[in-house]
Amino acid sequence: MNALQGSINWIGLWTIIRREWSRLMRVPIQAFLAPWISALLFIFIFGFVVGGRISHIGGHRYLEFVLPGILMLNVVNASFLQSTSQIYFARFMRYVEETLVSPLSYIEMIVGILSVVVARAVITALGILAIAALFHATQIVSIAEFLFWIVSVSVVFGLLGIIVGLWANNFEQLTILNVFFITPLSFIGGVFNTVGMLPGWLKWMAYANPFFYFINGLRHAMIGFSEANAWIGVGVALGLSAVLGVSVWRLFSIGYGLRS
Amino acid sequence: MTPALHVSHLRKVYGRGTVAVDDLSFDVQEGDFFGFLGPNGAGKSSTIHCIAGIATPTSGKIEIFGVDAVKNYREARKLIGLSPQEFNVDTFAKVTDIIDWMGGYFGMRKPERKARVDMLIEKFDLVPHARKTFRELSGGLKRRVMLARAMINDPKLLILDEPTAGVDVELRRDLWRYLQELNRDGKTIFLTSHYLEEVERLCATISIIGAGNIVRQGPKADFVNEPGGLEAAYLRATGAEPELLAGAV
Repeated sequence: MNALQGSINWIGLWTIIRREWSRLMRVPIQAFLAPWISALLFIFIFGFVVGGRISHIGGHRYLEFVLPGILMLNVVNASFLQSTSQIYFARFMRYVEETLVSPLSYIEMIVGILSVVVARAVITALGILAIAALFHATQIVSIAEFLFWIVSVSVVFGLLGIIVGLWANNFEQLTILNVFFITPLSFIGGVFNTVGMLPGWLKWMAYANPFFYFINGLRHAMIGFSEANAWIGVGVALGLSAVLGVSVWRLFSIGYGLRS
Repeated sequence: MTPALHVSHLRKVYGRGTVAVDDLSFDVQEGDFFGFLGPNGAGKSSTIHCIAGIATPTSGKIEIFGVDAVKNYREARKLIGLSPQEFNVDTFAKVTDIIDWMGGYFGMRKPERKARVDMLIEKFDLVPHARKTFRELSGGLKRRVMLARAMINDPKLLILDEPTAGVDVELRRDLWRYLQELNRDGKTIFLTSHYLEEVERLCATISIIGAGNIVRQGPKADFVNEPGGLEAAYLRATGAEPELLAGAV
């Protein structure tokens, strides 16, 4: 009856992905259209209207410079919202119990959730690239690097979203991290400006901000412009993924927020 | 012979120190139709949650056909099907998807899942409702979906927590027939219910829990042959008020 080949329940894992994809496709406007429209407005106002009055940065048009930041902002938001809502709604409506009573390992549950997070982030990113192409601003110097940043950042924020989804006991708590940390840190992480443009006392904050390395890494992948050693960014992304991954696995294994 | 379910010294204490189950021990033999009775708050659902993996036992041991339900939880869960008391589903999902996804979690391949989903939808008279979302269904139909979902993996141990609550008389009787059929074919069934008539009709063994522990257990005949039958035996075991007991006897 069961096809639990080896120690991995592949069909169970695929079922989690199918279920979450079906849930996501019930709200396509919220999931995809909203970030694309938001990105279009950012590109138009900051890149096209305001950017038209700003001189080139590192030999690139301002629109080309700002696009990776806008893209990263949306990837971060899509990833975080996807995983928080997956976990929180499963807890809130109690259908998380379906997976708890099934022969699924914690790793399979986590990988299932993250797969949909990455899929949503990649589709969001591709849509923004298509919009930017209308403004002749889409370029990718290194596709491998581009994919690395989209996938690794979506994994980091997907994992962070799982932790918040497990911790939150009401809808307001779901937004706390986004309002007080993610949005401010991403804006001062170099979405619209170089670190060189910041006042001296803020520069150290940029270098201590992981968002700076994410945006810088994606910018390097897209237009070849970088203000920091790329390997530091790779280390930050992989290090955070590892730490958050182990933390999430631990929370699942003790049943935090899942089991009574 | 290894029991279908072995619970030994189970204790479940919730976060704020509420003791739901205290030093609970019992066995359910393979092929038995086991009735697990008790008043509200006695610890029935907490026990079931610990057995099925929805709650973590504070201490004690649970084995499903000899498999440790905590240490070897994946193997243990393959053997169980649970129909919980409360509706724990994605209410915006369609009926077929709810049942199909559960089969998927259990590693069932698509053709096998489809055949089983079709059979269960037919069995529980859900054909006209198969493409509806769960939230569109009436209470009785929702209960049928929960039962169909619990049976998707053809479990060796079927756990039913108040399976006929809110269900109409017709379905209740159909369900009784189906459960008796399953039990005759060798399936072990663990049932909680507040309907004593249901327990009396279906179960071979009855266990009564009160304040987190077993207060009485034995073959059904021991209970029904007492003066006042099962109801009086139940009220005596749970320490009901004398006037209530007098009414039953």
